[in-house]
Amino acid sequence: MDNLQKELDNKINNIEKSPSGVSIIWREIMRDKLALISLVFLLLVTTLVYGVSIFLDLDEIVKIDLFAIHEPPSSDFWLGTDYGGRDVFGQLIIGTRNSLTIGFLVTLMTGLIGVTFGLTAGFFGGHIDNIMMRVLDFFIILPFLMIVIVFVSIVPNYSIISFSLIMTAFLWMGIARLIRSKALQERELDYAQASKTLGTPRWKIMFGQVLPNVSSLIIVTMTLNLAANIGLESGLSFLGFGFPEETPSLGTLLSYARNPQTLENRWWIWMPAAILIFLLMLSVRNVGEALKRATDARQRRG
Amino acid sequence: MGFLDVEDLKVHFPIRGGLLNRKIDAVRAVDGVSFSIEQGKTYGLVGESGSGKTTTGRAVIGLNNITAGKVFFEGNDLTDKKNKMLDVRKDIQMIFQDPYSSLNPKKRVIDIVAEPLRNYERLTKKEERYKVAELLEKVGLSPESILKYPHEFSGGQRQRIGIARAIALKPKLIIADEPVSALDVSVQAQVLNFMKDIQKELNLTYLFISHDLGIVKHMCDEIGIMYKGRYVEEGKTGDIFTNPQHIYTKRLVAAIPDIDPKNREKQKQFREEVQREYEESYESYFNEEGLAYGLKKISDTHAVALPEKG
Amino acid sequence: MWKFIVRRLLIALPQILLLSVLVFLMAQMMPGDALSGLIDPNIDPAAIEAQRERLGLNDPWHIQYVDWITGVVTEGDLGRSFRYKMDVTEIIGQRLTNTFWLSLVTLIFTYLIAIPLGITSGRYNDTFRDQMITGYTYVGFATPLFIFALVALWILGFQFGWFPTGGSVSPGLTPGTFEYFLSRLHHLILPALSMALITTVNTVQYLRSEIIDTKQKDFIITARAKGASESRVYNRHILRNSLLPIAAFFGFEITGLIGGTIFVETIYSYPGMGQLFVESINLRDYSVVTAVVLLLGIASILGALLSDIILSLVDPRIRIK
Repeated sequence: MDNLQKELDNKINNIEKSPSGVSIIWREIMRDKLALISLVFLLLVTTLVYGVSIFLDLDEIVKIDLFAIHEPPSSDFWLGTDYGGRDVFGQLIIGTRNSLTIGFLVTLMTGLIGVTFGLTAGFFGGHIDNIMMRVLDFFIILPFLMIVIVFVSIVPNYSIISFSLIMTAFLWMGIARLIRSKALQERELDYAQASKTLGTPRWKIMFGQVLPNVSSLIIVTMTLNLAANIGLESGLSFLGFGFPEETPSLGTLLSYARNPQTLENRWWIWMPAAILIFLLMLSVRNVGEALKRATDARQRRG
Repeated sequence: MGFLDVEDLKVHFPIRGGLLNRKIDAVRAVDGVSFSIEQGKTYGLVGESGSGKTTTGRAVIGLNNITAGKVFFEGNDLTDKKNKMLDVRKDIQMIFQDPYSSLNPKKRVIDIVAEPLRNYERLTKKEERYKVAELLEKVGLSPESILKYPHEFSGGQRQRIGIARAIALKPKLIIADEPVSALDVSVQAQVLNFMKDIQKELNLTYLFISHDLGIVKHMCDEIGIMYKGRYVEEGKTGDIFTNPQHIYTKRLVAAIPDIDPKNREKQKQFREEVQREYEESYESYFNEEGLAYGLKKISDTHAVALPEKG
Repeated sequence: MWKFIVRRLLIALPQILLLSVLVFLMAQMMPGDALSGLIDPNIDPAAIEAQRERLGLNDPWHIQYVDWITGVVTEGDLGRSFRYKMDVTEIIGQRLTNTFWLSLVTLIFTYLIAIPLGITSGRYNDTFRDQMITGYTYVGFATPLFIFALVALWILGFQFGWFPTGGSVSPGLTPGTFEYFLSRLHHLILPALSMALITTVNTVQYLRSEIIDTKQKDFIITARAKGASESRVYNRHILRNSLLPIAAFFGFEITGLIGGTIFVETIYSYPGMGQLFVESINLRDYSVVTAVVLLLGIASILGALLSDIILSLVDPRIRIK
C-alpha cells in the first residue's frame, strides 16, 4: 500500500503541467509587436514613477516659489515651472504615480463589485436577476460625471480614499453586465449542472466552477477599464474635482491649461501631461486588445 | 416500497407573457409518469427528442423542479422539501450526455473527480490523490493523467472521467442521460460494456435514458417508452421487443436495423406494414390532443396506453 | 408592440422617481439650505428658526421631499439661485437652449463622420482604407475628450485663430440677424466637432463589425447568388440591417453627451448647462446644481426610453427580453 502510494506520488509529481492560459496570453503578446512595445513602455513608466518618487521630496515639489513663476524649461527645471513656481517635471512624476495608483485602485474595486454582482445575477437568474438588473439599469442611466462631481464636492473629509470610493460607486456596472450575461450562459452548461448533482453548494459552484470560466473576460475587461479609469480620473482632476489640492495628478497639470494664458503660451506645463495620459491609455488599450485576441481563439494571430 | 418509485410525476415549464410577465400557459414536458426500479437493475427510458425522458431523469436527481407527483428513493420522499436532500443526493449520481461540456474545461482531472469527495468526505490531500488515482484506474485511465485538463482527452476518455466522478461516492443509483450518444460508434460499445462491468462490481442501479433502441435492448432489463411527456408502453425488455402493443412502439421496434441480408426483404415488408397500420390507426391510439391514454396492464410485467374502449 | 412600450414605461417612471429622490437627498447633504443664501446675517437667529419652521425645513426628509417634488411638478419650482438672485428656471432657460444646439450639432457631426467611415471600413475590411479608419478609432478610444478639445482649441483657436476661443456668440450682434446666426454657428463648430470626433469612434467600430457580420450571413450570400449587384446588396440588404439600430442609438448617446458637454463647455467657455453646473458647484450655488442634475438625469432616462422603443420597432428580437 505504502509502496504503491510512493510510486503513485512519483508518477504524479513527474507529470508536466499542461500549457495554461497564461502561456497562451504570453505567446499572443509576444507575437503582437505593438502590444509588446506597449507592455515594455508601461512597465518602464510604472517602475520609473514609483521608483523615482521614493527619492523625490514631495514637499519640495509642491512648495510655492514666487521667484520662479512660469519659467520655461531649463536645466534647473526640465519642464519649466507652473504659476506657483513649482517644478513641472517633479509634478509629472508624482502625478503619473498618483494617476496610476487611483487607476489600479478603482479598476480593482469596480472589478470586485462588478464581478460579484454580475456573477450573482447571472448565476441565480430568475427574480433575483430581474431585480438586480433593474438596479443596474438605474445606475447606468445616471449622468455619471455630474453625480460624481456633486459627491466629490459635498463629501466631508475629502481624501483619495473617498475619491476612489465615489468613482467606484458609479463605475461597476459595465463589467457587471458583461459578467452577468456570460454567467447566464455558463450556468446552463452541463459542468455547472453536474456540480449540483455532486452536492456542491451553489456559492461554491458560482465562485469555484463558473468564475474560472469567465476569468479571461474579467482580465480583458479590467485591462480596458484601467485605460478608461486613468482617463476619467485625469478628466475629473482637470475640472478640479479629482485629487485633493495637495496631491497632484496628471489631470492637475492639465487643469492649469484652463487658464487661456497658460494654454496659449506655456505649453510646457500641460503638454507633457497630455501626451503622457494619451500614451498610457493607448498602451494599456493595446495590451488589453492583445489579451482579448488571446482569449478568443478565432482572433488569435498564431 | 421499492428502490426507486416515481408516482405520477409532472414537470411543467411556465410560458410567460402579457403585460406583467405572468404565467399564461405551461409546457407539459413530463405529464404524469409513474415507474419503479428494482435495485441492481437497469431501467431504460426511451423516446424521441422532446418526449420528456431527459426531463424525467433530471427531475429525479433534482435538476428540474417537480410540478406534481412523488419520487421515493428507498422509501424517502425526495419531493418533500423538509427532507434534507444532501444525504440522499450522495446515493444518486448522474452521467451526462455531452462529455465535452460536462467537465469543467478550467479544472484538472483531479479537481473534477475529487469534487464530490470534497463535498462529502474529509480526506487529506494525499488520501484524495490516492482515491482519485484509484478511481481513474477503475475506469481504465492512467492515474498519471490526474493533472491534465479535459481537453487533452478523447470523447470516450472524457466520458470515463465523468463516470469516475459519478461513482466516486459509491452511489446506489446512477442516472445515465444518453451517455454514449455524443461518442463515436466505435467507442460506444466500449463505454457501454464498461458501464455493465461496474454495475456488477458496485451493485449499481441505472436509469438509462436513450433514444437508441438497439442500445437499450443491450443494456436494460425493463423499458418505458415515452411520447410527448407520457408513457405509451412499459414492460420487460422481452415484452417490448417481441410483443410490442402500441403502434408507436411497433414503429420504433420496426426501425431497428437488421444486419442479416437474408432478412432484408422480410424486414422491408414488415416495416411497410407497420407504417400502414400507423397511418391508419394513429387516431385510435392517441386522444384529440395527440397525447397517449393512460396505461393498462395486459400482463404482470407489461402495460400499454390504450383508449378506454379497448 | 404597445405591450413593450407600456412595459418599458413601467421601468422608466420608477427610474425618474428614484432619480428625484437621489437628487433630493444629495441636495439635503449639501451645506446650507434655501434660507442661508437669502437672509441677512444680522437677523435674529430666533426669527430664522421661526422662518425655518414655517417653510417646513425642520420636517422629516420624506415630507420635505414630497413638498419639494410637488413644487417641481405643479409649478416648475426649482428654487432660487442665491448667486444670481433669480429663479433657477430662468437661469436655466437660455443655458438649456445653448446646450441643446451644441448637442444637436454634435450628434449631426457624429453621424456624418461615423456612417461613411463605418461603411467604408466594414465593406472593404482589411484593406488599407480600413486600416486607416481602424487606426483612427484606436487612437480615438485612447484619447480623453478633454485633452483632444484642449489641443484643438490650442491649435485651431489660439495658434491659427480660425475659431473663436470662447462664448456662444460675438458681442454686439442683434439676435435674429444672419450675422448673429453665423456667429453662433462659428462658435459651435469647434466644440461640437471635437466632441463628435471622439465620441463617434464607438459608432464607427460598431457599424464596422455589424457590417462585417452581416456580410457573412446566409441571406446576403443568397442575394449575391441571385445575381444582385454589389451596390444593391449593400443598399438594400446590409445597410438596412446595420444602419437602423445605429440611428436609434442617439437616445443612449445623451448620457455621454451630458458628460461631454461638461468638459467641452468648460474648455470653450461656452455658456451651456455643463458650464453652469461646474460654475455653480464651485460657487456652492446648490439649488442650481440640483436642478441641472435633475433635468439632465431625466433627459438621459427619456433618451434611453426613446431609443429602446425605436430599437424595438426596428428589431423585433429586442422586444422578447
